[in-house]
Amino acid sequence: MDEQLKQVDIFEQSDISLLETLDHVLNRGLVIAGEITISVADIDLIFLGLNVLLSSVETANEVLRKRE
Amino acid sequence: MKLYVYCLVEKIDALLAPVSGVSGAPVDLIRLDDFSFLVTQLEGDSAPPVTRDNVLAHDAVVRSVLNETTPLPFRFGTVQTESHLRSYIRTHRTALEAKLAVVRGCVEMSVKIISNLDESDLETTSERTEEGPGGRFLNEKRREILGGERRAKEAREVAAWLKEQVGSFVRQEAISLCPTEKLIVAAAHLVVREQVTKYRGGLAIARNARPELHFLVSGPWPPYTFSNIELEFKTRFGVS
Amino acid sequence: MELSPETPPTVEPEIETSHVEEFVEQLSCVTNSLPSRINIDAQSVEQGLAKLVLTLIEFIRRLLEKQAVRRMEGGDLSPEQIEELGLALMKLEAKLQELKEQFGLADEDLNLDLGPVGRLI
Repeated sequence: MDEQLKQVDIFEQSDISLLETLDHVLNRGLVIAGEITISVADIDLIFLGLNVLLSSVETANEVLRKRE
Repeated sequence: MKLYVYCLVEKIDALLAPVSGVSGAPVDLIRLDDFSFLVTQLEGDSAPPVTRDNVLAHDAVVRSVLNETTPLPFRFGTVQTESHLRSYIRTHRTALEAKLAVVRGCVEMSVKIISNLDESDLETTSERTEEGPGGRFLNEKRREILGGERRAKEAREVAAWLKEQVGSFVRQEAISLCPTEKLIVAAAHLVVREQVTKYRGGLAIARNARPELHFLVSGPWPPYTFSNIELEFKTRFGVS
Repeated sequence: MELSPETPPTVEPEIETSHVEEFVEQLSCVTNSLPSRINIDAQSVEQGLAKLVLTLIEFIRRLLEKQAVRRMEGGDLSPEQIEELGLALMKLEAKLQELKEQFGLADEDLNLDLGPVGRLI
């Protein structure tokens, strides 16, 4: 419950420095392909947005291709 | 056992001072092949939740080495087993070394520009009395679309102007045009450390020259925008 | 560890602007649309696919609007045609809105990032 509150909190912050940090830390940075698996197990995905799902599909294909 | 990965670093043998990471957990420096990583060992499989504290901690950890070297930051939420991380290095060694070379000795600066373009001077076609709801709809769209095109044009012009102002201090730039209606330019600049002062000076002059534009300047940052080597992961600001 | 004398004395990020509230508003638009967690279960995959499909439809819808406006400006449409075109596009916009609501998607959810090419919408 506490974690949920904190998650709501993040989007109510009017702290500009936090917003700038979020912009850098959540949107950019090195990403490891193959990390995101479309699996129904209890794996939490922190990557965000539609492009994540697209990337997941691409990544799965890439992984499959590499195995061949 | 999974690792939460903050960044890849070169030329560091040990952490100068202990730093605390996501969920308050300790941060270790590990060496895989000839790369070093700042990581936190996770209990269980889940990545830490996106909270204010965790986000700030992630940045703080990456930042903790910024005085000594330029790291390649990972995106928040990167969780890997050690063996996956190892195979990642093996398959991407060349690209990683190339990225390290690009960002070496640099920091990232961020410039965001807001323009309050007034749309009220866009003429509307004369209203005919027999115009129905369909016609009105299209006229309204016309106003919006013309406004959008004008904004896009202004964004391109401002981005080019910005490049003129600070380009000589910038090793690489990544620009996003019109990420929102008012935010017409969001630029990330890779700047050699020794040039940051000159870069700021150039920006200060630029800002004075165009008081009608509103600026937000932030930095120095670790080079988040210039780290990614995977084409399939696109950031919101158009960087691959 | 030596620090070059020209290195900035601290590496805390400085944030500098004369228009804090304006930027807070704009940056919030950018970050608010990001969910904090994506659970891949059957429902979310469906929603993810809905997002993809609706994004593409939305993209085409906007292209259609632009094209309609251009034709209207070009003067080669009769008043009746303009009215019919406008009504049809109005219905399309309303329909898409309905679909978004059905899937619990907001306007900001519909976008595709194409890397260096920018966002789709």
